[in-house]
Amino acid sequence: MIQVHKTTDSKLSLSHILVAYAALTIGGICGMLQGLVRGGVIELPYGIGYYQVLTAHGVLMALVFTTFFIIGFLYAGMVRTTGPLLPTVNKIAWVGFLMMTVGTVLGVIMVLLNKATVLYTFYAPMKASPWFYVALVLIVVGSWCALVAIVSQFRYWKRTHKGKISPLFAFMAASTMILWFIATLGVAATVLLQFIPWSFGWVDTINVMISRTLFWYFGHPLVYFWLLPTYVVWYVILPKMIGGKIFSDSMARLAFILFLIFSVPVGLHHQLMEPGISPTWKYIQVVLTFLVVVPSLMTAFAMFATFESYGRSKGAKGLFGWIRMLPYGDVRFLAPFVGMLLFIPAGAGGIINASNQMNAVVHNTLFVTGHFHLTVATTVALTFFGVTYWLIPHLTGRTFTKKLNRMGIWVTIIWAIGMVIMSAAMHIVGLFGAPRRTAYTTYNDHPVALEWLTYERVMAISGVLLFIAIILLVISIVMMLRAPKGEEEFPIAEVNAAAGQTPAVLDKWWIWIIILAVLIVFAYTMPFIDLINSGPGSKGWVTW
Amino acid sequence: MDARRDQMESKRRENGNNQQEHGQDEPLKGTFASVLMLGAFIAVSWIGVFLLFLNRS
Ligand code: HEM
Ligand SMILES: [Cu+2]
Repeated sequence: MIQVHKTTDSKLSLSHILVAYAALTIGGICGMLQGLVRGGVIELPYGIGYYQVLTAHGVLMALVFTTFFIIGFLYAGMVRTTGPLLPTVNKIAWVGFLMMTVGTVLGVIMVLLNKATVLYTFYAPMKASPWFYVALVLIVVGSWCALVAIVSQFRYWKRTHKGKISPLFAFMAASTMILWFIATLGVAATVLLQFIPWSFGWVDTINVMISRTLFWYFGHPLVYFWLLPTYVVWYVILPKMIGGKIFSDSMARLAFILFLIFSVPVGLHHQLMEPGISPTWKYIQVVLTFLVVVPSLMTAFAMFATFESYGRSKGAKGLFGWIRMLPYGDVRFLAPFVGMLLFIPAGAGGIINASNQMNAVVHNTLFVTGHFHLTVATTVALTFFGVTYWLIPHLTGRTFTKKLNRMGIWVTIIWAIGMVIMSAAMHIVGLFGAPRRTAYTTYNDHPVALEWLTYERVMAISGVLLFIAIILLVISIVMMLRAPKGEEEFPIAEVNAAAGQTPAVLDKWWIWIIILAVLIVFAYTMPFIDLINSGPGSKGWVTW
Repeated sequence: MDARRDQMESKRRENGNNQQEHGQDEPLKGTFASVLMLGAFIAVSWIGVFLLFLNRS
């Protein structure tokens, strides 16, 4: 057997994971500061701006932590299911890592210099230093190297295993990266064709609506780029953790294909309140948005079914007896499981956000911030935390000790409590109208705004709690790197014997990509034609 | 073809002493109930905010 931890593949994965956690730590400090500022507990020293901190938080959490973790995790799983990375694939992967890291450092420097306080959505006409946009290009192009690496490795496996259905993990990894590529075409287009020429001063104006629409063409599939790897863990890894089986291979693949298709041609649901886009096309994209309920409920069903089959095999009785049979004492199960539970309110919130009328109630309020701290910062983050507790030992040839498990359980509990409290406060105060993206203010002591303050104090307290969890997590990572030597396996579950066999069509990419391309062209052509002729464009503004 | 044979083989292999085989015979009643509850929860949240919208408009 190959000793995984001695290979350059494992160093590759580990490097990604460590950068991800460095980003989480700095981003977490920013998050805590935001809570404290908004709650009126502290003021930022040294002339640091609230929006500067918020930009760093958004970029480091939403873009850097997630992307690095996901890519590192997918490489490790590709090695586990398709064998060591081919030498060229490994090289491309390292090049990608370096580009993304240089891009991240450059971007963070620009934010620290207060030259790019444009938030992670970098809406025009706010104009950052051109180097901020160059940093974004480096991160995106670096991630495309990961796409090339993972898809080449996948195709190599297919070539050398003619007529066989690909390993489920590899299939899911490739779908995730294909989704990412299709999505990032939008940011690449707006950054290369609009922001860079404009910020370097080669052109005077920018078409604001086109840039926002291209951003959200990317912004919604971005959330599925976070969720798909999370689902990989739920579908392929958790069953193994509990000693059960994958409920159905075909259903898992079908769900991934549907996620791929229904997560791209829907970005307009982030622009429901914007003028300049016809209600017809907003309506069409909202309908497409709602179709994502189908694979989501399939996933929920598959999870319940995996747990119930396992519980019943252990003799669970009654309607819900199986719930008691799960290994809650193991952080590698507990963290993703808690993430899964909290995805229920998160998903319900998403359906509310996407409904046109209700979007008018919640748009740009803290309700939205509460929503995505449940989705990405709770469900996705907790799932990744759970993975970290076995992945780092696996990659470094160390053991997962009881002590680490105990630490992990504390991290999970504190993080879950912190996020539930913070998100609940954000949801409620958002429904009362409190806007997101504002520092401390009482609006001249307006009575409505004063009512919000209680909730904002609660956010401040939970922010501190969350930061404590991050400290424990960082300590755990250091402990993992020094744990006793040993072997931890990369858990991959087998498919339930009773499940039917997987139809080959589910393994044929091009069919699904063509369907997706047709849908994208359908959903976006008319809105773009309208927007191209939509006025003179704007010069740049520095609002900070 | 190969794929099919592979899967059949692994099926046969597992049929021998698989504890989970039992579970499969039982209908997934708890799963069904859970998914229904999930759907109900989503509906209730949605209606709640919709009422708020009606109230405010
Ligand atoms: C220590 C834990 C965290 C705390 C205390 C925290 C706190 C906050 C607060 C208070 C805001 C809202 C600020 C405002 O709208 O004025 C915010 C925004 C945000 N957070 Fe977090 N957060 C944490 C973790 C995370 C994680 C793990 C992620 C994603 C992986 C994340 C992603 C975001 C994003 C994308 C925004 C929006 C930024 C913007 O509006 O431009 N946060 N966070
Ligand atoms: Cu969206």
